[in-house]
Order: sequence, then structure tokens, then C-alpha cells
Amino acid sequence: MSEKNLIEVQNLCKYYKTPKGALHAVENANFSIREGTTLGVVGESGCGKSTLGRTVMNLHESTSGKIFFDGEDVTHPNKAQKKTIHKNIQMIFQDPSSSLDPRKCVSDLIAEPMKVMKITRGKKETEKRVAELMDTVGLARRYAFAYPHELDGGRRQRIGIARALSVSPKFIVCDEPVSALDVSIQAQILNLLQDLQEQHGLTYMFITHNLSVVKHISHDILVMYLGCEVEKCESEELFLRPLHPYTKGLLSAIPIPSIHVDRKRIVMSGEVTSPINPKPGCRFAARCPYATEKCTQELPQVEEVLPNHFCACHHVRELNNL
Amino acid sequence: MAKNTNKIEEEVRLKKRSNFGEVWHRLKKNKLSMVCLGFLAVMICAIVFSTWITPYDYTAQDLMSRFQLPSKAHWFGTDDYGRDLLTRLLVGGRYTLLIAILSVALGIVFGMIIGALCGFFGKWVDSTLMRIMDVIMSIPGMMLAICISVALGSGVFNTALALAVGTIPMIARQLRSSTMLINGQEYIEAAKSFGESNFRIIMTHVIPNTLAPIIVQTSLYIGGSIMGIAGLSFLGLGVQPPTPEWGNILNNGLDFIYDFSTRWNVIVFPALVIVLAELAFNLLGDGLRDAMDPRMRK
Amino acid sequence: MSLLEIKDLAIHFPTEEGDVRAVNGISLTVDEGKTLGLVGETGAGKTTTALGILRLVPEPGEVLSGEILYKGQDIMKLPNKEVQDIRGNEISMIFQDPMTALNPVMTVGDQVAEVILRHQNCTKTEAQGRMIEILGKVGIGSDRAGDYPHQFSGGMKQRVIIAIALACNPKLLLADEPTTALDVTIQAQVMEMINELKKELGTAMILITHDLGIVAESCDNVAIMYAGQIVEYGSLEDIFDHTSHPYTKGLFNSIPSLEKKVHRLEPIHGLMPDPANLPTGCAFHPRCPYATELCETEVPGATEVGPGHLCRCHHCGNLQKKEGVIHE
Repeated sequence: MSEKNLIEVQNLCKYYKTPKGALHAVENANFSIREGTTLGVVGESGCGKSTLGRTVMNLHESTSGKIFFDGEDVTHPNKAQKKTIHKNIQMIFQDPSSSLDPRKCVSDLIAEPMKVMKITRGKKETEKRVAELMDTVGLARRYAFAYPHELDGGRRQRIGIARALSVSPKFIVCDEPVSALDVSIQAQILNLLQDLQEQHGLTYMFITHNLSVVKHISHDILVMYLGCEVEKCESEELFLRPLHPYTKGLLSAIPIPSIHVDRKRIVMSGEVTSPINPKPGCRFAARCPYATEKCTQELPQVEEVLPNHFCACHHVRELNNL
Repeated sequence: MAKNTNKIEEEVRLKKRSNFGEVWHRLKKNKLSMVCLGFLAVMICAIVFSTWITPYDYTAQDLMSRFQLPSKAHWFGTDDYGRDLLTRLLVGGRYTLLIAILSVALGIVFGMIIGALCGFFGKWVDSTLMRIMDVIMSIPGMMLAICISVALGSGVFNTALALAVGTIPMIARQLRSSTMLINGQEYIEAAKSFGESNFRIIMTHVIPNTLAPIIVQTSLYIGGSIMGIAGLSFLGLGVQPPTPEWGNILNNGLDFIYDFSTRWNVIVFPALVIVLAELAFNLLGDGLRDAMDPRMRK
Repeated sequence: MSLLEIKDLAIHFPTEEGDVRAVNGISLTVDEGKTLGLVGETGAGKTTTALGILRLVPEPGEVLSGEILYKGQDIMKLPNKEVQDIRGNEISMIFQDPMTALNPVMTVGDQVAEVILRHQNCTKTEAQGRMIEILGKVGIGSDRAGDYPHQFSGGMKQRVIIAIALACNPKLLLADEPTTALDVTIQAQVMEMINELKKELGTAMILITHDLGIVAESCDNVAIMYAGQIVEYGSLEDIFDHTSHPYTKGLFNSIPSLEKKVHRLEPIHGLMPDPANLPTGCAFHPRCPYATELCETEVPGATEVGPGHLCRCHHCGNLQKKEGVIHE
């Protein structure tokens, strides 16, 4: 773990044009990820976490803001920079059944990025590398010529991981990699991702809606609500001392598999509002039990409330007696 | 775990077959498709080597032996000019099948390219190309074929082209919608994330995944084409008499339907050949679709 | 007498590749007003069990043996007409996916009223009144009764589905992963509502889920299913505090904890067995860290490890880890 920031994102915005108006998928995101660590991005569906991941890796073009990879500005990459991005930033997708081409066998799927980027020379070398990768992710070699539909979810996700690793990237965006899997398989995949991080010094951006998973795997956590950053701090700190009312509600909503936890649940009323042409003011104001007039008029800025603990709420200090 | 090896694991192959080998391997298991394939193979061989099979010339008239029923000398009998029906059907098959296959091939190639472009890029590419397709579709297929035939003149390639233009929009439409469906799949996004070029994505991911329904359509279009050729011949476009062609042989036979009991052969044999050929193409198409989809493997 | 009693239910699906044994002789009871949690992973046979109770097992599935006693009468032996009267009226089901369980071309109000009209002897106006009342209970105002499903969000749709399920005051509710498709905060809202309504109406419930957290919050009894069998059965306390079966233990260890910091999870090795080709002996033995030779050959029976706490394991009294680690 070094102190160097591998990824740095400044004021990143991503809007989509829709017939009803601009959809603010990501609003003014600021964060950095240190090399060898994991940033967890948490939020409910439609909060823009997947869009954020895809924009960071330049799969979608950003509307404004800057993205730095290894100190280099790659917001609008030229040809050489595009190559660097493809080689160093890879993605693991949520649904292993739709992220693998059903007409290709396992070894072809894993070899695809290497073929595209011309990393290996010749068939022999590619085959050798595929076999190595299959060992790395714990896929028996006898599956090399099987098709994805013949395998179960866990093995399919291992193919996805092997494919992402094939070009030896430095940074991997994991978009809900375990949410489609059963609990016991989920744990296997989480362990694999952690092992790989330790062995190869990988940096992850781990996007999920599952808070217990994100706590387990992340060093830092970013909580998003309707495209906006809500709270950002170290993983332990977030669960110990959540500051934002949304984070508090989110944490209290997780069902805990134990019968000895006695806690007061803050049930948030209402549902997520539309991200199309959002009203001015705090996005969470409509569901927030503490919302005042100020909240509906002015979008709160992200500020460092405690050392290394950022939060975007007008009333964070009075709510937490700071 | 050894005891728990399930079926999938037993089935896993250690060596990869080529793509073609894979399809062939699966097709072999489908008995009906193999029967159709055998039938088509026999028919095509017979058509190619027709001069060795029948001693007659397809234009040689023998007015002494008009309307003979099948016999040892004339297996399928003779027609109104006393020409050997089998010879005419075999020679006619050359033209019919060649034009049918060629027209469908042309239609598919252009239709697929246009459809894939529309579905993949969307926006203005889609609206421009699809409006052109709509214009073509708004003209009845036969009329379109007639116009093009008139403009280009008769001949094998021209007839094929005239018939192909009508099928392009249909294939393009179908491919466009399946491409759009596939475009939403994450594996296309994954391919983009490794920096694959659009051309490569279309060629390696989009088209192979849209092929299955197209294959089935193809067999249907071949049937349609055989009918289309017959229609054009009937109007004096396309293939001209005395050059035989299945459609015009059948048309010719239909003139004598009032005397069916004694002249049934001039109707039944051409019709049977057309029906069997179409049926074989359709069933083979079904089998091919299943064989080309790895998910259908049992 | 308990409300529902299932005795030795077995459901098989004959396929070309062999007999898929989805449910393999399970027995359970649900008392009036109580909630039973049915926990297991994909393919454990949870949903098939629930469909079996309603006699809705899809083709080509067939019930091979077993009795399903509802208020003492065997549902398996009732004529079709009577089963239809029970469905939606006495026993109703909530499906997993709120997006596809509603008819898109009918207003939600009509969909709720339809169930009431079908089962209750009442006029249209009475049904309307009852519909408004039940929608109000699930937190949907009467002004939205004329809306179509696509105008609702996922959480609201699930509320409508719950309203339909509760429209006739059923005695038993079968909830098949009712909140899996929803976000955490919405899940909390919906679960809270289900629990409150259950209390108010005195409905018993079978809650099918894979989330032990939800079980801890809303169930009285728990049945852990693996490969079509109930491997452990007991009260909430039995399962959470006196976990006996190795599979249940593995499930708990697989969930990342919010309280403790663990460096690595201890997952269960391997995969769910193919239900068409189950292992000999105990179905869990290939994945079990405690498996012995006995487990490979003999199917374990249910042992009572505590009062009302059943466990299907040869070694549930004293578990000793096998030497060496199992690799996949």
C-alpha cells in the first residue's frame, strides 16, 4: 500500500440527455484512490454508482471534470492514452451471464483482451497465459472449452475476473461483482478478489449496494445518493460514526443476521426521487427527517467535517453535536 | 469431489474443435437435418451431373411421344413437346437453385451489413438507412423485382439481384432489432472496455449472435425466391424459354390440368421437386440454427 | 393443531437428463400466526416447496409422495375446484419479482378488486370499498388506485402485490423472496409493513429467503434447506445461537459481518450439487469440512439435538474437522 494516488477524479459530472430533460447521473464527484487500496462506492439503485465507474474508465465520456490516472490527465484521451487506459483499467461486471458472449468458449473469452491489445505473441503463448490465468482464479483447466451457459454463476464470475486480469491491469472497476451470486459463492469470490489484490497490488473501485460486503472489502467508502456524493471516509470510520442522515438510515436498514442486536431502526419514508432535472437543494431533502428550508434551496457542499471524513449536509454539525 | 462430477464436467472436451467442426458435430446428431442434407446433396449432384444421368437433350422435341406417362425410357414421362421431363427438371434446377441461392446470399449480405450498422450505431445512421429500407418495403416485392428485371434485362445474376433487393429490408429490420438487443448486453460493453474496435465488435460479437434467426429465415427466403423466379419467368422476364426452370416447367404443366388423370406427371413432378427442395431447405435451416447455438446443446 | 403440516413431501422433475429431485422428503409445520423462515441457496428447492403447497408445481414436475395438511385436510387429495378456492383466499403467495407479477394493462385497483370479487361473496361496490381499505393498509392512497403498474416504482409495486395477497385475509401467506429485488431502505419499509400487517391480521407466513438477516428480524422458526432437504430446523434461537449443521455454520461464516473485522471469510467450498445427480449419502458431504466415510455412504436421519431442534447430520453432536483442506 503506497501513498500514491493511482486514480484521481475532480469535479466529475455526467449528464445524459433524455426527452424529459437532463438526467444528472453523476454530479460533481471528487475522490482519489491510493494505489493498492479499494474504494467502495455504495448507494441504492439509480444513484449513479455504475455510471461513475464507467465514466472513470472512460467507457462513457464525462460531461465535465477531470480524471487522472497515475498523475496523467486522461479525461479526453488521445490514441496513446486510450491504449494505456485499456491496458491498465479493466472492469468486472455484475451479471456474469450477460457479460460473457454466449457463443465463445472459456479460453476464447479469457484470451479476448490479450488478442485485441496484442499482448501475447502467437497461439502458444496465449494458450499458456490462459492456463495460468485459469489457475490464478481457481478455474479447473478442464473447463477451457466449455461454454458459459454450462457453468454456474460463481465459475462464470471467475471467467470475468480472469478476463479482466489477462492484460495485467493496475486498476479494476468491480461493478456489483457478487450481487448475482449465492452467499457461499459470494464469499469465495470476495476472498479471491482480496487474494489477487495482495498478490498483484491491484487497486479496486468496488461498486455495490451491499453494505456488509463493502465494509469487508474496502479501505475507503464513498456513499452516493442520486448522483451526489453524500459521505466519504475510511471504511471503519463510516460504520463507527456515520454523519449524514442518509448514511445513518442506510446502515440501520441492513438486516443483521444475529438475534442479539438491539437497535433502533430509522425507517426512511418515501422513495428515491427522479434524477431528471433535479430540484435545487439537497437531493435527499425529500426523505430527510431533519430537512429545513435551507435544504430545499441550496445544494450542500462536501466538506471535511472530521479529519479525513467528508460529508455533504447543511446540518451535519448540529445533528452530530460536533 | 471426484464422486460428484456432474454431467457437465463429463462432457467437457479437452480439445477444441474448430468452429465449423463444432457446428458439424452438433448437426450430425440431428437425424432429420441429416436426411434433408442427404436429399439436397443427392439433388445437387444429380443436377450437376445431369448429362450423365439422362441421355436426352433438354430442348430435343419429339412430337411422336407427347404426354407419355413415366416409363423405363422416360422416368418422369414427357411434356407437351415430347421433351424428357426429368432432363428438363434437372437442367432447370441449375438455374432455379443458382438464382435462388445467389439472390438470398446477396440479400443477406447487404441486409446484415445495413441492419448491423443501424442497430449498432443508431442515431442518424439508423434513421437514414431505415427510411431507405422503408421506401423499398413499401413497394410490393414482385413489382420491385419486375422493375429491376426490366431495367437490367434477363440473365442469372440480374434476376438474382432483382429478387434480392426485396429481401434486403426484411433482413435488415430483423438484424437491426436483434443487434439493438445484443447492444444492451454487458459483453459488448466489456469488449469496448478492452478497446475493441467497432468493426471487430460487430464481426465477432454482434453478427455471430444474430445469426441463428437469420439462418432459419434464409431457408424460408430460398423457398420464396423459387416462387419469385417462377413468377418472373411467367412474365417473360428472368429465365426465358426454352431454357427450363422449375417455375416455368410447372406453369407449363398447369395448362394441362383439365386432363389430370392422363397427364398428371407434368404437374406432379415439378411441384413435388419444388416442395421437397423447399421442405429440405427449411428443415435443414431449423437444424442449423440449433447446431449453431451452443446453448441448444444437450 | 397446527395450521399447516407438511409430511415427507417429495417433488421430482423428470427430464431427459434424469430425475431432478427438487424436493426430497421435507416435513415442517406452521402454527397459526407464526412465521417460518425457509432459508437456502439457489436450487435448494424453496420455491418448489411453496408451489407444491398451492399445488402449482410447474410441468413436468410431479409430487411423488407426502401429505400437505392444511387445517387437517390433505390438499393433495382435494378436488381442483376446492384448491382454487383455497388459493388466494386462504393461502396466498407473494412472488419475488414485482416487475412481472402485475398485469400491465389493468389498473392496480382493478387487480386488487378482482381477487376480492373472485373469492368473496360481495357486490362490486363492496369489493371497491375493500380494495381502497387494503391499499390504504399497504400505504397506497385511494387516488392511485386508478393508476397502471408502470406508473409505480419497484417498492410500490411490491406493496400492491402484498395488497393483492392480503386482500381476502388469508390464513397463510407464502412470501417468496419478497424483498430481494428491492433496495435496502425500501426493503426495510416493506418488511416492516409485512410484519405489522401480519400481526394485525393474525396471518401465518412462510418466508422464503436467502438472507439470514431478514430471518433474524421476522421469523419465529427457521428451516435451513440444502439440496431439497431440510438440514436444520428449529426456533430462531436454536439456529442462530446453537447452530448445529455444518452447512448452517458455513452460511453464517460466509456473510461479511458488520460488527467484527475479519481478514478473510470462511466460505463453504465447492458448489451446490446438481439436483439431477445428487451425491450418495449426505448430500452435503463433498463440501463438508467434517465429512467422514459414514457421510459418504449413509443418508443421515433427523436427530433431535434440543427440544424441537432437528439436525440432519451424522456428527451434529460432536463435529471434528477433517485433516487437510478441501480444494475445489
